[in-house]
Amino acid sequence: MKNQLHRIDLEMFEGPLDLLLFLIKRDELNIYDIPIAQITKNFLEYVDLAKELKLHSAGDFVLMAATLMKIKARMLLPIEANGDDEIEDPRTELMNMLLEYKRYKEATSTFSEMERFERPHYYHIPATWSPQQEDNTAILEDVKLYDIMLTFQYLIKNYEEPATHSVAVEEVSLSEQVGFLNGLLQAKAKLSFAGLLEKFESRLVVVVTFLAILEMLRSRQVQVKQSKLFDDLLISRGSTFGN
Amino acid sequence: MIYLYQGVALLEINELKQIVEALLIATPEPLTEARFHTCLGDSGSKIPLQEVISELASDYENSGRSFFIKEVAGGYQIVTNAEFESYIKGLFSKSGKLRLSQAALETLAIVSYKQPVTRNDIESIRGVSSDSSLRTLLDRKLLEIRGREDGPGRALLYRTSTEFLQYFGLNSVKDLPRLREVEDILAEDDNELV
Repeated sequence: MKNQLHRIDLEMFEGPLDLLLFLIKRDELNIYDIPIAQITKNFLEYVDLAKELKLHSAGDFVLMAATLMKIKARMLLPIEANGDDEIEDPRTELMNMLLEYKRYKEATSTFSEMERFERPHYYHIPATWSPQQEDNTAILEDVKLYDIMLTFQYLIKNYEEPATHSVAVEEVSLSEQVGFLNGLLQAKAKLSFAGLLEKFESRLVVVVTFLAILEMLRSRQVQVKQSKLFDDLLISRGSTFGN
Repeated sequence: MIYLYQGVALLEINELKQIVEALLIATPEPLTEARFHTCLGDSGSKIPLQEVISELASDYENSGRSFFIKEVAGGYQIVTNAEFESYIKGLFSKSGKLRLSQAALETLAIVSYKQPVTRNDIESIRGVSSDSSLRTLLDRKLLEIRGREDGPGRALLYRTSTEFLQYFGLNSVKDLPRLREVEDILAEDDNELV
């Protein structure tokens, strides 16, 4: 019964800082002068439960428990008075973390209100085949890195390695693949990434080639376009190509 | 009424309202002043979009339409009135818009005030790993990756997107309510204790 109650509580908290703020409020503690021994004891009860429930964030709770115990230990040590040096309270860092977190937690409730207010409104959105998407080769000018990663994940999932049993060390380097792509782009203005995949025999080569594309993208030797998410990547010469 | 600029007749206001209405219907993103001028070409470069919008907006209001013109993400878009939500929901397979989790909202709040930020910046404030919230927010296009940090590890930098502004009905991130200072929070807590 007691556990049941705790379980509901624990899932309400976003993490160890959230739980600490709750304990401080519940027990009317002074955030400037946190009674570490008391709060550590209460906190640990929750942590045990988090471990028992195998909560996703249990690790974060355990880490905070260790921090609390460290602070507790430091407070037990006799303070060495070193002349005029100001002695820092071992709790200061934790207090600052709690206050900073509290600021954003407050802002979160504002976001939640804004979300609730905007929720019933729907935007007028034109049909997905609007003119800018008709030219299939140059649609999304601004492909985001995240989109490229998703596409790669998607393409390589469909890429099956031929089943072989020979073991050989494959030598393929990033600079080799950069050179390879450079050569291809000299001959052809546009390359299809899916088309390239068909030529390779191992995942390793695919991965290294993908890294080569990212590298060339970074130095603007190539540009990458895509018509929609998960679609083929079209590689063409960039502003510094051939330099 | 003819729209005059410095004594020169440009376009009739009714025609202008129709043009702006057509643009609002077809625009894939908020219609900005700059985009409006591009659409009108030379003849329209002197016409302030905002004036036409407010004329159009009062037309909609007076004739009892089910939608209005919203100023969002630096431009204008047509948005339905709240009272039709229950009917509109039927158009979608999921029951209306999905709400963000508390964890995702916290992450979003941190990014919007501190952007550009790394995952580490977010996690050190929240005190919990924020991988899955970040993923959700990226998938829903509320956040986007904008380059990498210069320091060691070259961590990815996150920013809020245009969709973020639309989602929360904001014109710009500057319109977010000010974050309370730590001192204010402490002062309030002291009062509570008395």
